[in-house]
Amino acid sequence: MSKLKRFTICALMVLALLSGSLTAAAANGNVTYSGDAGEFIFQPSSDQSVTDLFPEFKDVMPGDTLTQTILVRNDASDKVSVKLYLRALGGHEESQEFLSQLTLAVRAGDSELFHAPSDQTAQLSDWVELGELGSGGEVALTVTLQVPVTLDNRFMDAAGYLDWQFMVEEFPVEQPDDPDQPDEPADPDQPVDPDKPDKPIEPDKPDVPKTGDNVNVGLFTGLFVSSGLLLAVLLWLLLKKKGKKSDG
Amino acid sequence: MSKRRKLGALVLAVALFLTLDATRGTLAYYTTVGTATNVVTSGNIELKIHEQTKDGEPFPSQGIRVYPGDKVSKEVTVENTCDQPFYLRIRLTNGVEKLLASVEDVFAFDLNTADWTLHEDGCYYYNHVLQPGQRTAHLFKEVELVREQVAGRFGGYTLTLTVTAQAVQSKNNPADHPWQAQGWPGAEGGQA
Repeated sequence: MSKLKRFTICALMVLALLSGSLTAAAANGNVTYSGDAGEFIFQPSSDQSVTDLFPEFKDVMPGDTLTQTILVRNDASDKVSVKLYLRALGGHEESQEFLSQLTLAVRAGDSELFHAPSDQTAQLSDWVELGELGSGGEVALTVTLQVPVTLDNRFMDAAGYLDWQFMVEEFPVEQPDDPDQPDEPADPDQPVDPDKPDKPIEPDKPDVPKTGDNVNVGLFTGLFVSSGLLLAVLLWLLLKKKGKKSDG
Repeated sequence: MSKRRKLGALVLAVALFLTLDATRGTLAYYTTVGTATNVVTSGNIELKIHEQTKDGEPFPSQGIRVYPGDKVSKEVTVENTCDQPFYLRIRLTNGVEKLLASVEDVFAFDLNTADWTLHEDGCYYYNHVLQPGQRTAHLFKEVELVREQVAGRFGGYTLTLTVTAQAVQSKNNPADHPWQAQGWPGAEGGQA
């Protein structure tokens, strides 16, 4: 086989592989939290909105049922974990007539978070917790849009805008032991006792899922301040009494 | 307050203070909110009617002078100018000085029956789904002014031939024949 033929075949194979990978996956929306009270990064954006998370809901037609994923990711440092929340603010006023024709559903795993006309806030009127994420963790939201087959002609070329809000609360994470301190070396002279079998190797402990708490911050802050004040008062009384004794 | 009680209160206060100091580590550092404005857009159906002579020139919009029995070159095609595939139909109506008359009366056509089907509703349905960017095969290429119908009747008059094209989405709208598709519009649609 000539060099040119071999090159052409290789080029076609590479092109075929690339085409396959490019057309394989539907586009996702992505929400990334960068940490340290930094910004959220929303992708992929669109001509209509720089924070647009709906790449698959464009040029929808009557009868369409479309599904896409939104990945929410925590890129904060491993010194913090985050609790993640979502709520809907509803459709913009000028979009409500169009958006009210369409049905939107949002799921996180097995939980249905929202199922209503897409202009509504419905089950997402208040903050809903999506989970607690360590550094690099992510949660996937599955979003489905249903367009009725009876959608009127007057909604051709329409655009509907609806707002979602994401919130994170950062929590510090206990840091592991100093990795620079080396382990004690094993004693090479210690003989192996045949009567005592080797200790089985403990499998790596799985990551203990982080659990959040529902601390009443106000109560504990109040107690903290009160105990500090009590301490100060008692110390003052003690010093006052000592002062009287030395005078007397 | 007795000495013992004061000492007890002091110990309790210190213990409580130290315990609460340790709990500071479980309180949140920061809270951040971000807003995403998401957008849903809908598609559309658009078409364009092309009328041209056999030389590829646009058919004159002001019309041409003809005589009974004349055959005029006029090729009619339709182009899909949107991003959605659709079914297509054309209705031909003719008129005399803006009045309607039956098309069989004055005009005859060399109809392309391989790609178009005349249905009982009087419309010519394109036999294929027209994809975005595609153009149909011609409906007809030639129009004849039928001598027997016009001689002695319409001398000096302006006769009109109106081509009306209508389309309906084929996505989510399966049909064995295009006239069976749902959603055919009324009087809207492209007109030449």
